[in-house]
Amino acid sequence: MNSPTSHFVPPRRMGVYDPIHQISMWEENFRSNVSLSASTLLIDDAEIKFDNQSEYASHGIPGTSKQYDQEANRLADKIQRRLAQNREAARKSRLRKKAYVQQLESCRVKLMQLEQEVDHAKQQGLHIGGTGLGSNSLGFAASLNSGIANFEMEYGRWLEERNRHTLALRNALSSHMGDVELGELVDGTMNHYFKLFGMKSAAAKADAFYVMSGMWKSSAERFFFWIGGFRPSEILKILVPRIETMTEQQRSDISNLGKSCQQAEDALSQGMDKLQQMVSESVAAGQLEEQTNTPNMSTAMERLAALVSFVNQADHLRQETLLQMSRILTKRQAARWLLALGEYFQRLQALSSFWANRPSKPAECLIP
Amino acid sequence: MVHDMVSENAVIVFGRRGCCMSHVVKRLLLGLGVNPAVYEVEEKDEEGVARELEAIGGGGDNNKVQFPAVFIGGKLFGGLDRIMATHISGELVPILKQAGALWL
Repeated sequence: MNSPTSHFVPPRRMGVYDPIHQISMWEENFRSNVSLSASTLLIDDAEIKFDNQSEYASHGIPGTSKQYDQEANRLADKIQRRLAQNREAARKSRLRKKAYVQQLESCRVKLMQLEQEVDHAKQQGLHIGGTGLGSNSLGFAASLNSGIANFEMEYGRWLEERNRHTLALRNALSSHMGDVELGELVDGTMNHYFKLFGMKSAAAKADAFYVMSGMWKSSAERFFFWIGGFRPSEILKILVPRIETMTEQQRSDISNLGKSCQQAEDALSQGMDKLQQMVSESVAAGQLEEQTNTPNMSTAMERLAALVSFVNQADHLRQETLLQMSRILTKRQAARWLLALGEYFQRLQALSSFWANRPSKPAECLIP
Repeated sequence: MVHDMVSENAVIVFGRRGCCMSHVVKRLLLGLGVNPAVYEVEEKDEEGVARELEAIGGGGDNNKVQFPAVFIGGKLFGGLDRIMATHISGELVPILKQAGALWL
């Protein structure tokens, strides 16, 4: 094929005069410059190629320079159109990207606002997501200690399960479920409480102070707190009257159980008092004007290690109390008793919510 | 010496000096009207005393002695766990009476 004349001017680049070679170079240019989807580009390329081939095929060897010019112009137009389309597509793509980024930014701001609101609500002791976890150091404690973070997550799930058990007990009692099935439900509910004691034991090893603080419970529950949980004798006092129709023997047994709980609680409380005394003594030992005395701290630390034992013993007491109740009561009575227990804790959590949402005092309205 | 203490006392509590859990056991027994003998073990003597007590306890898997350890009627009864559990179940007081630690 003869080389074309100088009429044939490529839109962008001066280079080799071979038209087919020129076009393939321009195609490469398209590929590198344009951000269109590859499929469209390939189709375009194919069209161009096809056009090239068909034009040259039908006309054979490029004939007169005029014919050649016409074809070159048509090709140039096509290329121009293609470039314009690509520019447009790129522009639209940039606009879409900008819109997306703006959306992300506003979502981020909203998320930060929501997080602040949640923190504030936690400080008020509100329920978050129905887990009943209300404490202002919830996130803080969790971030410091993976054992505690783990416990908090598990406790949320435990609460949901406890609520399911309570509902199941209520339904079972109102539907007059058979004793065997009811017995299974009762055992399941009891085992669920025992599971919590195991969780608390692990959490106490991670941070006994945390378990003792009750920060993982709602504020009203914390009000009644005793060594990391509920006080067994109190629970008996409040809830046993809810169990109707007990035999004299049962009443007597439960009365004895209450006394035993009280005695065990007193012994543990006195042990706690002794521990406090010992820790404060070791912290205050030596001249108080001196700088932090490391030997005393290690003594205090050693003594504080006993805190884990106290949490465990208190939970052990709770567990034994629940077990003894299950021995004294029939399955049906036990179901009623456990329903009352679950309902009572749910109401304490609700109380915490109401308290947190109570209307503000008049004085606060005066502040501009 | 340890052997004598166990056989001479209806109830005796062996605990580490200054241990709060020993204190809990003592307070609980006192609250029941029992006057337990108390032997405070020094840290350096712990292992030795534990082994002696295990020998007295009289065989069995549950013979491992942990402090605080309670002996009732000359036999190893257990630790705070067992004391708590048997007290709640109502079994402890009869056992104490039988050993002559309680009169009521």
